[in-house]
Amino acid sequence: MKKGRKSLALLLAAALVSGCLSGCGNNAGEGGQDNAPASDGTTAASASEKKENAGELNIYTWAEYVPQDVIDQFEKETGIRVNYTNFEANEEMLAKLETSKGGEYDIIIASDYIIKIAADEGLVKEIDKEKVPNYSNIDPIFQNFFYDPDNSLTVPYGPGIPLLVYDPSAVTCEITGYGSLWDPSLKDSLALMDSERVVMGMALKTMGESFNTEDLDVIQAAGDKLMELAPNVRVLSQNQTQDFLLSGEVSAAFLFTSQVVLALNQNPELKVVYPEEGLGFGVDAAFIPSQAPNSDNAHAFLNFILDGEVGANVSQQTYYLCPNKASYEFLPEEFQKSLVISTDDVPNGEFIQDVSPEATALHEELWTKFKAALD
Amino acid sequence: MLSRQASQEAAHTVNAAGRKRNRWWMTVMPLYLFTIFFVALPIVYLFVLSFLTRAQTWGVVNEFTLDNYLKILKPVYLNTFKESFQMAVLTTLGTLFIGYPFGYLMAKLPKKTKSLMMLCVVIPFWTSALMRMYGWIILFRSNGLLDKVLMGIGLTDSPLKLLYSYPAVLVGMVYSLLPFMILSVYSSTDKMDWSLVEAARDLGATRWTAFFTVTIKMTLPGILSGIILVFIPSMGLFFIADILGGGKVMLVGNLIQNQLQSGRDWPFAAALSVVLMVFTSMMIWIYRKATGVKDLEGLL
Repeated sequence: MKKGRKSLALLLAAALVSGCLSGCGNNAGEGGQDNAPASDGTTAASASEKKENAGELNIYTWAEYVPQDVIDQFEKETGIRVNYTNFEANEEMLAKLETSKGGEYDIIIASDYIIKIAADEGLVKEIDKEKVPNYSNIDPIFQNFFYDPDNSLTVPYGPGIPLLVYDPSAVTCEITGYGSLWDPSLKDSLALMDSERVVMGMALKTMGESFNTEDLDVIQAAGDKLMELAPNVRVLSQNQTQDFLLSGEVSAAFLFTSQVVLALNQNPELKVVYPEEGLGFGVDAAFIPSQAPNSDNAHAFLNFILDGEVGANVSQQTYYLCPNKASYEFLPEEFQKSLVISTDDVPNGEFIQDVSPEATALHEELWTKFKAALD
Repeated sequence: MLSRQASQEAAHTVNAAGRKRNRWWMTVMPLYLFTIFFVALPIVYLFVLSFLTRAQTWGVVNEFTLDNYLKILKPVYLNTFKESFQMAVLTTLGTLFIGYPFGYLMAKLPKKTKSLMMLCVVIPFWTSALMRMYGWIILFRSNGLLDKVLMGIGLTDSPLKLLYSYPAVLVGMVYSLLPFMILSVYSSTDKMDWSLVEAARDLGATRWTAFFTVTIKMTLPGILSGIILVFIPSMGLFFIADILGGGKVMLVGNLIQNQLQSGRDWPFAAALSVVLMVFTSMMIWIYRKATGVKDLEGLL
């Protein structure tokens, strides 16, 4: 009897361990969740193949980054079955893409700097513009960037400029740029991005330096300066950061474009600041992996999202800048207004690019030190 | 005739025993294969990776180096280990403080109530650990439930900034690892021979003396397996620090995750993992040496 009880306890303990592990697993990259829709997709795809035989399209990007109604419309118009898989971080995407040697996925939407690395590794396929007649719809100000200097590999999907947003009723100092965040009156009331290059970049800009300096002394100095910001930081977060501002948990935040728009939609009283020290800029772009199994379908998809009406729909749901000039006429006026950033600002923005391993290691070290000073 | 039959029988039994031994070997094969493929090989891979060099932009190059280990000796990274160790010790003490009385009293309950309690301990695990952390956010956040209650009864007059702090992470850690301690203590208390306590009482020991000299000693294996089950995961858990610490609390687990993602330094991440593994194995060894307990409630 006692033995029975003991094994029962052990069994329960085992159940707990597995429960806890699955909890960790969810966070570690939503591996479990990723797989489920993918496998569902394949079975459903084989069913639809009998009907249409238009094949399938494997999209790999952040969760919910391509609106569901856009996918539905694409499936309906083309008969292509879409399998949507999501990743949590750019690096996770590249690691998987490398393991599959550029195969497995047909369309990947990821950030500029990681596309540059993927392209250098030979994992990106050149776009056949014959198959993408709508390619000419791309607004040229969103082209000729470092990750695709010949405009042959990518289609811009979500360009944005991160901005400072604050609640004027909770802030007593004047906020004009990154430097204002160091003001002692903002003690314990800032939400920043949980990304070392972005936050270090703010410190670099206050010193008049580039985001991408490889001068280790300059980076070190920026790290020292960042340490003085520690008392003001309330939270570091990548996702839904605007919620901290809306709930009053913080009084100022540095937000991605989509978060700026969402914050203003909820609370129009919030003030937006274009940092005087200089703007950052980033583009999430779509590309076709070098060994994409359904390359034709991928081209069809690129052409589809570059359609004026579809593009307008995408931008209105992702809250990023619209890189499609054919879409402008389809964008409602309030969207133009709510999207506080004008495309005129784009040329002023600086990309965060990959720096030397030494500089990356130093960034990493200073960031660890900064975090240790936060709690 | 008789002797021949006997020898034949003997031969039979030898054969049978031999076959039996062979078959037995076959049945454990899957276990060996599983261990080799899913435990040993990944550890070997990790170990090898920790001596390689980070590539310029992405990946790893096959150049032997000790730099990854030397880098850990930098004060910044040693400090992360120190913080994690501190967090793990506090978490373990916290779970022991709550879990021991809980498990002890649970074992003394009548049978029916006991299974009901057991169910209550296990039920939270039917929900994702992530989900339960968000529950704590609702309680702790500014103007959240706890703030409203405290302000309602007049204990505080402005919202406390409870969330995104070291204590919030500690609460989350203790909360999520507590059941391991409860179940370990429960299991050893439950099978304890209470007549020993009675004997101690008969011989004149007070309740407390009897508890400290007999009960604690008898339940030591449970306590130790609880400590190990709590201490080890709390060294490595990173999602609690992320969610309840608001990205501000950096433990070794977070550091490793960072190196794999934004740092893109896999060999360094591997070296950190190896050191973490060696460190936790050492802790287990010390526990066992210090207490002389061999049987850790079915563990080890």
